[in-house]
Amino acid sequence: LHHSSILNICSPIEIAKSPHYLACPDCDSLYSVPVVGPEERVVCPRCQANLFSRHPNFVHRATALVFSAAFFFILANVFPFLSLRSDYRESDMYLAGCVSGLEEQGFPVLAAMVGVFTLAAPMLLIGTLLYVLVPLLHERRLPWAQPICRAIHQARRWNMVEVFLLGVLVSLLKLGSLATLTLDTSFWAFVGLIVCLLAALAAIDYAELWERLEDAQPS
Amino acid sequence: MTFHSSSAAARALVRCHSCGHVEPVEVRHCPRCHASLHVRKPASLQRTVALTIGAAILYFPANLLPVLRVESTLGGPQQSTIFGGVVQFWQEGDYPVALIIFVASVLIPILKFLAIGLLCLGAHFGYWPRALTQLYRVTDYIGRWSMVDVFVVAILVGVVQLGSVMTINAGEGAFAFAGVVVLTMLAATSFDPRLIWDAAAKRGGPSSYRSQEGI
Repeated sequence: LHHSSILNICSPIEIAKSPHYLACPDCDSLYSVPVVGPEERVVCPRCQANLFSRHPNFVHRATALVFSAAFFFILANVFPFLSLRSDYRESDMYLAGCVSGLEEQGFPVLAAMVGVFTLAAPMLLIGTLLYVLVPLLHERRLPWAQPICRAIHQARRWNMVEVFLLGVLVSLLKLGSLATLTLDTSFWAFVGLIVCLLAALAAIDYAELWERLEDAQPS
Repeated sequence: MTFHSSSAAARALVRCHSCGHVEPVEVRHCPRCHASLHVRKPASLQRTVALTIGAAILYFPANLLPVLRVESTLGGPQQSTIFGGVVQFWQEGDYPVALIIFVASVLIPILKFLAIGLLCLGAHFGYWPRALTQLYRVTDYIGRWSMVDVFVVAILVGVVQLGSVMTINAGEGAFAFAGVVVLTMLAATSFDPRLIWDAAAKRGGPSSYRSQEGI
């Protein structure tokens, strides 16, 4: 059960003595790191930002979810995504077809954007997360783990798989009157990818991830 | 610059923007993650304003140019803009879809422009820091959902690629619209909400958050 505990703002003298500080990312208030129990969330009393939370087994949980996401990602790219059946013909669309279609019509930059948001960003997220999380299971870290962990923050923002799903549903309705569209294997794999990837990202507390990474032995 | 007395900056400390490590201001690079350290995001307001102006300029072609060109043997050539798509769904009786597209493609971009404007004013004048920080978080999260229409175009183009009863072509409007979404997302990320609290500290701060101090 999650419940938030609000920490006290410490006096200036206390801050100067304390070896561990914590600054709010949104309002820059300075705190000393409080003792927090498992599954507790620390919230900035001044601006209500989430400062950090403790999930003792988040590495295991997140690794399992990212592995499933990787599996779904492969399935989503191998099988057809949508099948179109009209009176005249049948055709299958693969996930990559959204990108190649735009590219063939003379929109290479737009195609690249769609490719980054729906394919490259989730792939990069899955890859970097596995690279960081799997060695952490054994309290180890691989070379370049820190810059790669920073890349996770960037890739997170540009990963728009859930927005793409909404786009698919709207397109189905838009084409529904003109042709029969059926959802294929890849679509369900894509839904699985969204669920697992978003759950993995939600399970990870970045402050804690960095602490674990700092404590891990380089290998 | 003036900082609030309880802020890290007032004690000559910097928070690493990427890993959250707190270091003295003299340190140039975070010892934990090697990111470069800044007390506040560099040129935050200038970047935010510049990117927002760029997005506002692109907003016109994004709405005036067609996002989709449909040619079918049944109908003849049709062009639809973003707003035209909303109207079409509404007329066909698909009210929930019309509403989703209207919110994602029309309402959110406009609200985002207003929100970023408000945030920049807040960073200058220092009013309502708490509410504006919440607004910043919402703005940062919600921008990505505007991408829906661009994805719809990509999917339709992908599905009907081989050409059968109809051909669907992407329009220039889709490209401009994707540009608007990316630029406003970049504008939101380059904004530093701590500037609002700095401005509030300079102004003396509203009593609502003064009372929270000194616990």
